[in-house]
Amino acid sequence: MRRIGVFCCWCGSNIGGVIDVPRLAMEALNLPAVAFSTDYKYMCSEPGQELIVRAVAEHRLDGVVVAACSPRIHEATFRQTLERAGLNPYLLVMANVREHCTWVHPDDPERAFAKALALVRGAAAKAARTEPLAAGTLPVTRRALVIGGGIAGIQAALDIADAGFEVLLVEREPTIGGKMVLLDKTFPTLDCSACISTPKMVAVAQHPRIRLFTYAEVVGLKGFLGNFEVTIRQKARSVDHGKCTGCGACWAKCPARVPNEYNLGLDRRKAIYVPFPQAVPNKPVIDRRHCRQFTRGRCGVCQKVCPVGAIDYAEEDREWQERVGAVVVATGFDLFEWAEAYGEYGYGRYPDVITGLQFERLANAAGPTGGKIVRPSDGAVPRTVVFVQCVGSRDEAKGREYCSRVCCMYTAKHAWQVLEKIPEAEVFVFYIDVRTAGKAYEEFYVRARRAGAHYIRGRVARIYPEGNRLRVVGTDTLLGRPVEVPADLVVLATGMVPAAGSGELARILGCGLDKDGFFQEAHPKLRPVEAGTAGIFLAGTCQGPKDIPDTVAQGSAAAAKVVGLLVREEIAYEPTVAMVDQTRCTGCGKCRAVCPFKAIELVTRQVRAGTAVAERVVAEVNPGLCAGCGNCTVACPSGVIDLKGFTNEQLLAEVDALCL
Amino acid sequence: MSVTPREPKIVAFCCNWCSYAAADLAGITRLRYPAVLRILRVPCSGRVHPQLVLRALQRGADAVLVSG
Repeated sequence: MRRIGVFCCWCGSNIGGVIDVPRLAMEALNLPAVAFSTDYKYMCSEPGQELIVRAVAEHRLDGVVVAACSPRIHEATFRQTLERAGLNPYLLVMANVREHCTWVHPDDPERAFAKALALVRGAAAKAARTEPLAAGTLPVTRRALVIGGGIAGIQAALDIADAGFEVLLVEREPTIGGKMVLLDKTFPTLDCSACISTPKMVAVAQHPRIRLFTYAEVVGLKGFLGNFEVTIRQKARSVDHGKCTGCGACWAKCPARVPNEYNLGLDRRKAIYVPFPQAVPNKPVIDRRHCRQFTRGRCGVCQKVCPVGAIDYAEEDREWQERVGAVVVATGFDLFEWAEAYGEYGYGRYPDVITGLQFERLANAAGPTGGKIVRPSDGAVPRTVVFVQCVGSRDEAKGREYCSRVCCMYTAKHAWQVLEKIPEAEVFVFYIDVRTAGKAYEEFYVRARRAGAHYIRGRVARIYPEGNRLRVVGTDTLLGRPVEVPADLVVLATGMVPAAGSGELARILGCGLDKDGFFQEAHPKLRPVEAGTAGIFLAGTCQGPKDIPDTVAQGSAAAAKVVGLLVREEIAYEPTVAMVDQTRCTGCGKCRAVCPFKAIELVTRQVRAGTAVAERVVAEVNPGLCAGCGNCTVACPSGVIDLKGFTNEQLLAEVDALCL
Repeated sequence: MSVTPREPKIVAFCCNWCSYAAADLAGITRLRYPAVLRILRVPCSGRVHPQLVLRALQRGADAVLVSG
C-alpha cells in the first residue's frame, strides 16, 4: 500500500477565505492510500516546504499531493521540495484548488468545498499510481545555425562565434548585409549606415569560427533541441569562388542589363554581378533569369574574359546536411508591396512616387545618383517633397493593422536630409501620430520640425499627376479642412512585412507565425527571442517590426540563449514521454503517422515473446523528440503505448475519483 | 409530486497547453462558472482515449468536455 501525504494550502485568503482548508485536510485523510494530511497558510513558502520535507521523513511518505494553486505555477517548486525530501520529483501531483476552484466559485463555498475535495480525491488517486521517473540526457551538437545575414544574423553569428562556438551563417542573397547596408544614414545620430555595418560584414567573413554560405537556403530541418540536422541548398552561382579573384572583368563586359534590386530598381546592373562594392563575399554570381547564356543559349562573354577560368555555366545547385545544436532565425523583413494595394497613390505608375528605401538609395553616396536627391522621372532636383506616413501600416483597410515602428523616425530623418541637401526646399509630412519612442528620438524629430518640415495630421486620400508634377490631396484633421500640395517628389513611408518565404521557412522549421506572418515568440514578455520550438531562437524583424538598436539587441540576446545551450555537453529531457511495449507491438505504424513531433520510428528489434526470441518490426520512441502529447497512445490499435506521467491507469483512476 | 433537481456532474479533459491554461486564466480574472465542472489535466486533447470518456460516463458523469 502506498503512503500518500496531502498538503492543503490556504494561499492566505485566496483558498482559505472561501473553503475550510483544515476540514479539507481532515477529509483527505479518509481517502485510499492517504497516510498523512495537513494544512498550512502558504505551502510554497520556506516553512511550508520544510513542513513537507519533514512529513515525508516522519510518516515515510512515498507520494505527495499538494492542494494549492495551478501546477503551471508551482509544480516545479514542489518537485524540488520532493527532491530535497529524498523523493523522486515525479511522485508529486497537484490539485488545482485555487485557479480552478476558489477563485471561480467564491460565492458558493459549499459547492467549492465539494469540488476541492473531488480535485484532491482525483490527485490522490493519481498519486497512488505514480512511479519514479528519471530525466534522461542527450548529447549536444556544439555548433549553431544562423539563418539570414542581415544585421540581426550578423550580430548573433559574431557573438556566438566569439563565445567559442562554430556558426553556420546561411544567407539567400549573394551578399550578407541585409537591409541595413542599403540605408544612407541611421536615425537619430545620422551615422553612415554602411560605415558601421560593413566592418561587421568583414568580421563575419574573416572569423575563424564562422562558415558563411551566401546564395544558399535552408531547405530542411530534422531533429530536436541540441541535435538538429539541417539541409542547406547552395544555389548555383555559375562562378567558382575558389578561382574567382573578384577582378570585375566579367561584369564590365556583360551585355545584359537588368533592374538593380539593391538600388530598388532605380538603376540597372549586369546579369553577372556583385550587388554592391562592399559586398561580402566580393565575388560575382550569374543571375540565370537574365543571363543571355541561359535565356538565349549563347553569349559566353564572361567566360571569354575571365582571366582565371572561374565561369562554370554547367554548375548545379548542391544540397548537403550539417549537424547543429541550435538555430537562430534572422530572416528580416520586406517592404509592404504598396503598389498593389494603394490605387489612390497610382498603383506605382508615377515614377516620382517612391518608397522610403528608394529615398535611402537616392540619398546614399554609393547609390545610383551619387547621393543627389533627384526625381527618378527627369533627374530634376525637387523643390517640394511630400512624405506620406503609414503606407501599409496602421491601415486596416489594407489589411495591415500594426505599426511598423521605424517609419516615423526615418521620415523625420528624410525630411531633415531634404532640408539639408536642397536649400529652399519645402517639406510636408502627412502623419497619423508621430511615434518617437527611443533614446534621443523625440529630440531628433523636434529638430526636423524646427528645421522647417511642415507636419500635417491626416491621411493622404489621393495622389495624381498634374503636368510634370504631382498633386497630393489630403485632409488636415487638426484644422478640419482639405489640403492640396503640388509636389515634385512623394516619398511613401512603407511599412514592414515579413520577408518573402517566411511562411515556407516556418513550415520547414516547425515554428509558428503570428497573425501578421511574423515569427511567433514563445512568450511576448518573458521569452521574446525564443520560438515555440525548443532550440530555435528569433532575432530582429523576422519577429516583428523594430529599429536597428532593438534588432542588434535581439541578435545578441538570441546569441546569449544559444551560448547558454551550447556550453552544456548534454541536455536533460522531460521523462514524461511515450513508451512502447515492444513485445506486444505489431509494427503497424499508426502511432508514427499521428506523431506531430516525428518522434516515432519503426525499427527492427529482437523481441522476446514468451520463451521465443523473434526479429520484428516495432515502434520506437525517441525520448529527445517526444513532447509527451500522448496522441500515439490513443492511435495504437493494440493499446501497447502508454505515456509516462499520464498513464492509462493514472487517468482512469483520476476519472473514477472525480466522478465519486 | 415535487422533484428536487439533481446537480449534474461534468468532467472536463483540458489540454495543459491551452484550455487548462485558459481555465487558470479564468481563475486569475475571477470569472464565474458553475462548480459542477471537474477539470482533469491532460498533456493534449489527443491523449483523451475514448475509453476515458466512456469511463467517465459509466461512473455517473452527465457530460464530458474534451477541450484542446
